[in-house]
Amino acid sequence: MEVKSEKQIVKPRIGIYGFTGCAGDQLLIIHTEDQILNLFDAVDIKSFVMASSNPTEGELDVAFVEGSISTEEEREHIKEIRDRAQIVVAMGNCAVAGGPQAMFARDGSFAERIKQVYGDVKFITDPVEATPIDEVITVDYYLPGCPISQPQTMALIGRLIHGVEPEDITTPVCLECKLNENKCLLNDKKLCLGPVTMGGCGSACPNYGLPCVGCWGPNKDGNFSELFRLLNSFGIAHEEVMRRIRNYGGHKILKYIEDIKDKER
Amino acid sequence: MTKSDKINIKPLARVEGNGGIKVEISDNKITNVEVQILEGPRLFETLVIGKTPEENLSLVPRICAICNLSHKYASLRGLEKALDVEIPEATNIFRHIMHHGEMLESHSLHLYFLALPDFFGYDNAVAMADEHGEVVTKALQLKAFGNKIMRMMGGRMIHGENPILGGFGRIPNRKTLIEIQEEAKELLAFAIDTIDILAELEIASHMERDTQFLCCKPPHDGYDYYGDILITSDGLEHLVEDYSKVIEERVVSHSFAKRSLYKGKPFSVGALARMLLLGDRLKGEAKKAYEKLYNERWHRNPLYNNFAQAIEQIFSLESVIETIDQGLEMEQPEVAKPKRTSGTGTGVVEAPRGTLIHHYEIKDGRTAYADYITPTAMFLDDIEAFILKGGEELLSSGKTDNIELQFEMIARSYDPCISCSAHLVTVEFK
Repeated sequence: MEVKSEKQIVKPRIGIYGFTGCAGDQLLIIHTEDQILNLFDAVDIKSFVMASSNPTEGELDVAFVEGSISTEEEREHIKEIRDRAQIVVAMGNCAVAGGPQAMFARDGSFAERIKQVYGDVKFITDPVEATPIDEVITVDYYLPGCPISQPQTMALIGRLIHGVEPEDITTPVCLECKLNENKCLLNDKKLCLGPVTMGGCGSACPNYGLPCVGCWGPNKDGNFSELFRLLNSFGIAHEEVMRRIRNYGGHKILKYIEDIKDKER
Repeated sequence: MTKSDKINIKPLARVEGNGGIKVEISDNKITNVEVQILEGPRLFETLVIGKTPEENLSLVPRICAICNLSHKYASLRGLEKALDVEIPEATNIFRHIMHHGEMLESHSLHLYFLALPDFFGYDNAVAMADEHGEVVTKALQLKAFGNKIMRMMGGRMIHGENPILGGFGRIPNRKTLIEIQEEAKELLAFAIDTIDILAELEIASHMERDTQFLCCKPPHDGYDYYGDILITSDGLEHLVEDYSKVIEERVVSHSFAKRSLYKGKPFSVGALARMLLLGDRLKGEAKKAYEKLYNERWHRNPLYNNFAQAIEQIFSLESVIETIDQGLEMEQPEVAKPKRTSGTGTGVVEAPRGTLIHHYEIKDGRTAYADYITPTAMFLDDIEAFILKGGEELLSSGKTDNIELQFEMIARSYDPCISCSAHLVTVEFK
């Protein structure tokens, strides 16, 4: 690991922002009970509205952003944050991929669904179909997860504090599942998305004997067509696999599944 | 402050999600109060259509991280009614332990970290640590304990998948349960000490007005956080299946959360509502705390919700101790299977911040219709009414120095969950 000492920052100025989501990623930071006092000590938290009043909205070294962009106002706000932040980190599935609210990404159903729900009411800001933040701004680093994991988050923050380039996350859930010595659920012909899902959760669900639901979004090295073939061979319909893989895949899953066709048709 | 003015509090800090408060003043009178829900809509009820119950149960906790297991629990109760799943008593016991974990996590987060800094005069709890170090350290322990239970029963701290239709993926072992029980006993002393801290606080009275309360009634004669009947402060009881007749909803342009009324008027839900409707059912240390803190003003003043949360912390710690005793005597429950693939069910639990309703219609194993009503969507009108009353009182007496803070404190006392409420959307297929 190359240490970029010229980039070393003393008490970096941090902003932690929440857009549209469940606030679970910000909550995870608040829930690091053994670390939160250290964290507030090691960095200069300028804005963290969920935890503190009176934010100072100025220049930032790092902005952590949770949530999808789901209104016109949010589109403008994220650009404004980008303008004053050296580094922007997309934090959690909603910011990285669009979140569950983006499971129907680009299928054209959004206008119809919003009308079904609210009728013709005009809101103070227009709702837009959920997108990850990198559809609006450039993102420097990604912290996947639903919610993010404490070790990955603290590792990334630690590296940024010390001016070290954070590492890309490349391993699937399966790797962690093997390290945890779980019985492989695919051997039981269960619909498990572990092989194509980004790791970091510590195989949270298989540890409880339950299949991976894919909530960290796609692992870029995953062999998607092979997993589809395998699950189809268990008698699980193509549509079923497609629907499940999109529940948490948001916009990021689209390029991995666009060429996968139902072999039966 | 001039006689005609506009107060814009945005963002509203130390709450979950993106919200704001707008108050318009004309000729020293308040002409408009809006609690704005600015977080984008996620349309959750449309996301679960066509999904299996298993997928629903994975998705709904994502409505809100703080009360993710309440969403899971309400959904389980609704889906298990719809599909006629008969739950073994031992499974119910473990669900109660899970739910107490969430109450402890959420209440301790709100009480010590989001609300108390206002009463002590700080921007946040970390700044408060210098002078009130022991409270902050102990509060972190209590919150960590709530999280530990959520991790144990949920499968992870936030959005765990372990609670499944008919039971759990895995039940914690004896040793873990006994450790949790021991820790609950240790933390009880701090939860009781908190009552004395609160008893010292002076609580503002400017916003006081009469309101209505609603919560669900436990199926036994004790205090609890679940039930199939809604009770209201007018003394009436309603079947949860009739929820849509009890709670009248509408859409307003300044909020992606729908608004709710009971009998045409705003109402409160949450710890204070539960305490006022069920408080006489408390036992043990929780009963003592209730008797120590309770006064008549609780019926007219939402700031006492913080007090009610402190009493519920004691109730939940005592319940964890008692419920684990019951769990230790029971056989590991089997996962119960659905007896049908189609049906309708309404599941209700008390989330930390109030009554939470999940209603489902399942056809051939897939969701045909879903409706979720969250506590924040129920009490937003009530917050606006209290801000209006408090604002008028402060304006007429000229005490407007920290009027913004006073408004924020009213909103914060409800522990609003904006992520939850912004998904409060009803899909009507007509």
